[in-house]
Amino acid sequence: MNNDGLSRRGFLAGIGGLGAATLLGGCATSATGGAGGQTTGAVSIESNLSAPAAKAAMQALIDSFNAKKGTQATLNTIASETFRTQLPSYLTAQQPSDVYTWYVGSVARSYADKGLLLDISDVWQKTSGYSDAVKSLCTDRNGKQVIVPISNYWWGMFYRKSNFAKWGVQPAKSWDEFIALCQTLQGKGVAPIGLGAGGGTPWVASAWFDYLNIRINGAPYHRELLAGEHSFTDPQVKKVFDRWKTVLPYFDKQATAVSFQDATTSLLQGRSAMMLIGTFFADAAPKDQLDDIDFFQFPIIDPSVPVAEEGPTDGFFASARSAHVAGTKEFLAYMATPEAQEVYVKASTSTVLPLNANAKAASTPLVDKGKKLLADAKEITQFFNRDSSDALQPTADTALVKFFDQPGQIDSILTDWQSAAEKIWKA
Amino acid sequence: MATLTVERPRTRPAPVRRRKRKRLSPVLLAFVLVPLAVEGFFVFWPAIQGVFLSFTSWDGMTAPRAVGLGNYVEMFSDEIFLSSLWHTVLWLILFGGLSALGGLGMALLLAKERRGVGFYRSALFTPVVFSLVATSLIWQAMYQPDGLINNLLGGLGLESWQHSWLADPDTAMYAVIVPALWRQIGYIMVLYLAGLKGIDPVLYEAATVDGATAWQKFTNITLPQLSSVNSVVLSVIVIDSLRSFDVVWALTRGGPFHSSELLSTYMYSTAFQSLRLGYASALAVVIFVLAFGVIVGYLVRAFREAD
Amino acid sequence: MKRLRTAAYHTFVGGVSILWLLPIALVLVTAFRTFDDIAQNGVGSLPHSFSLAAFGEAWSAGGENQAMLNSLIVTIPTVIITLLLGAMAAFALSRFDIPFRRTILLVMLGGNLLPPQILLVPVSRLSEVLGIYDTLTALIVVQIGFGLGFYTFVLHGFMRAIPSEIQQAAVIDGAGTLQVFVRIILPLTRPALAALAALAFTWVFNDLLWAITVLKTGTQMPVTPALLGLQGQYVSMWNVIAAGSVIAAIPTVAVFLRFQKHFVSGLAVGAVK
Repeated sequence: MNNDGLSRRGFLAGIGGLGAATLLGGCATSATGGAGGQTTGAVSIESNLSAPAAKAAMQALIDSFNAKKGTQATLNTIASETFRTQLPSYLTAQQPSDVYTWYVGSVARSYADKGLLLDISDVWQKTSGYSDAVKSLCTDRNGKQVIVPISNYWWGMFYRKSNFAKWGVQPAKSWDEFIALCQTLQGKGVAPIGLGAGGGTPWVASAWFDYLNIRINGAPYHRELLAGEHSFTDPQVKKVFDRWKTVLPYFDKQATAVSFQDATTSLLQGRSAMMLIGTFFADAAPKDQLDDIDFFQFPIIDPSVPVAEEGPTDGFFASARSAHVAGTKEFLAYMATPEAQEVYVKASTSTVLPLNANAKAASTPLVDKGKKLLADAKEITQFFNRDSSDALQPTADTALVKFFDQPGQIDSILTDWQSAAEKIWKA
Repeated sequence: MATLTVERPRTRPAPVRRRKRKRLSPVLLAFVLVPLAVEGFFVFWPAIQGVFLSFTSWDGMTAPRAVGLGNYVEMFSDEIFLSSLWHTVLWLILFGGLSALGGLGMALLLAKERRGVGFYRSALFTPVVFSLVATSLIWQAMYQPDGLINNLLGGLGLESWQHSWLADPDTAMYAVIVPALWRQIGYIMVLYLAGLKGIDPVLYEAATVDGATAWQKFTNITLPQLSSVNSVVLSVIVIDSLRSFDVVWALTRGGPFHSSELLSTYMYSTAFQSLRLGYASALAVVIFVLAFGVIVGYLVRAFREAD
Repeated sequence: MKRLRTAAYHTFVGGVSILWLLPIALVLVTAFRTFDDIAQNGVGSLPHSFSLAAFGEAWSAGGENQAMLNSLIVTIPTVIITLLLGAMAAFALSRFDIPFRRTILLVMLGGNLLPPQILLVPVSRLSEVLGIYDTLTALIVVQIGFGLGFYTFVLHGFMRAIPSEIQQAAVIDGAGTLQVFVRIILPLTRPALAALAALAFTWVFNDLLWAITVLKTGTQMPVTPALLGLQGQYVSMWNVIAAGSVIAAIPTVAVFLRFQKHFVSGLAVGAVK
């Protein structure tokens, strides 16, 4: 008897639980709640810049904003790997933080498409000093601006001047010169090209794919490919890998075995000669060796293709459900000023370039050269994930690392890549 | 982690039967319902949502779209799923088998109290208390191209054996199993030590009197007496194999190109890198069904024996 | 002959122990080296330098001091409350004829077989709904919920083996359910509780996934995610990473050494008779 009673109660409790679960299921999966009435309090900034130098620069930037009195901002730094995986969940939270560091381009647009980003067109109206090209990168499908760019940096073939002098070699301009340079270096017993696509940083291999593609097929094709308008099995893509194969023998044996930071250490120690990398690698380099670092442009392959360079742009965007809209916009407006960007550039390792044309970059020969590289380019691309989406990056990592291991299997690698990418585009 | 009971109730298990059936005291009811509610709220409720999500296509941001059994159907044609299922089985055999054998072997060697045994046991058990993050950091350093393992090989004149252990698809899987074993063998050893301790010494004395060899004692006394521990070890191994995640993720992320991908790492990358949370939930359901099938199979049998 | 066998025994077992301790030794040695030394000679070489700087770097600049405090704030209450709740459930399910007690036990254990990854997103939303997202309270309650099934299961097996005469005698003496639990069963379960407490301590202390799921603020993070963050900050600075790992392992190693003998004796049910 009692048994039955209890079981009925258990059954009813089960139903109740289910009902509540569905209800919560709603909470877990849809973005409910909204900008609350609360408008006071500090603007919260979430940053993924966790390298010591970059973290200090970010703190200096926040401090300079807070020193103006008025609205205050607080900075929270999250390990970049955690930040990347948790960003969708931060943005869909019921009471999200206000502002996030992230990237300009398709990747920001993909969040805007889901209605997660604050429309900051009015902030943009009040700012000056940005080029139209930059502005269009910050604009979503509906013509609204959603992100404020702070700085960008460049990628290049970095090397140590003293080592190149010691080996008696010169930077290369054309592809043929580059091959010759690699041969000479290999003859001297140095690994010509360092990479660092192992140990948790497989994405650096995408820089080679990006550059070969924009040198051979041009930037517009590259963007369309990443947007799913072409297939990775196209003959154009195949040409990229055919070209890549010609330099594969010159890559460091440990190309896909160590992280880019360890590859940087190798470069600085002279175990490898050069490395296609972004200026952020300097964050992990000892300060006294920075003066010895130089770079050259990724060699030109087809002179008829308009020159494009990778110039990834970092910025801030805000959650559509920020509880401090006014303060958030005040913060973003300040970030767009030359003053703020100069503070940031000065406090960082100084290899980043401010985006506002009225802000001065640190003037070192290296930075001047980098600035000129980007200014002379006919087209700027961002980087693989920034020109597509964060979800597409792992498909490239798998394909490119496999290419290093089994270059002969390129056809099946590209077929697999295409089918993995389609799942992402369709999702 | 997993189970570590070594229950061999020689005294009859004796719930106070029948007498209490009439009315459960409120205290007793609370004793069961409070923990059940806590777990229900933080585990079952979210789990039910997970199952619900496995029938949808969801990017974690916009509203999920119902796709029925679509996710489960997709698995059959998903080569990465099939290969990670195979890797999981391989992992179960190698990681599970070796940790059981190694754990039993070391337990047999270290069962008798003698000089140095305390130190040896501690040495083998210490890795168990390291976090998986620390473990993987340690082994990353070991596996570095200029790390300890390659240097040792170089020192022994085996330069040709030097290797990028984690970056080579032929070795990555095995290179990941080693640190996992490093942590697991000590754990299994403790389970067996506890089991060996429970064997009545009289049995061995009697066998000695009968002139049994060491091997006969092992097969006729030790192994049968350890049967309940063996079942526990089996389920520990199955659960740990199916849920193994941290070491693999931290060392290789399932790479290079899915060559060390397990169901658990594939599920994680599907959810948090590809943002296909519906499909990832379906993968999680599969993992759960496999683990639950094994453990329930074992427990139901164990309960039947106990009655 | 006997001498020889003893020597062979110690050579083999000692060799295995050394092999087991080798990675730990590597970490200890690396932690005391300087970055320049590692950059020049590689992680695997013999040390050419000695410095305590890496520990300072990991402890203060890497933020491990705060993280250590957070970990203890989370771990201690979690272990106590989970074991208490687990013991309560195990007591009721093992000593009384509760309807569906085996189903309940299986269901509770079943919760532990779920791959935790499936729960991450719903749990983070749930903690938000409760208004405890990004607080240590969230981490405590979530870990209690997730650990319960396993502890209940282990303690159930242990309590089942306690002879019923002891309990009957107490009931005849007029002891209520609560008194039987507190005065008789709990003390008899002490070895198992001690072993479980030590294991639970290491598991909760070493947790990573739940922490990054329900916490966001850097200063709230416990040691394990902080160690991961440290790796992100100081990639390739292996000395700092090694020092961070050493610091993060000290509490669990200390607990293990303290409770060492319970691991074996506490798990051998035969001990309670």
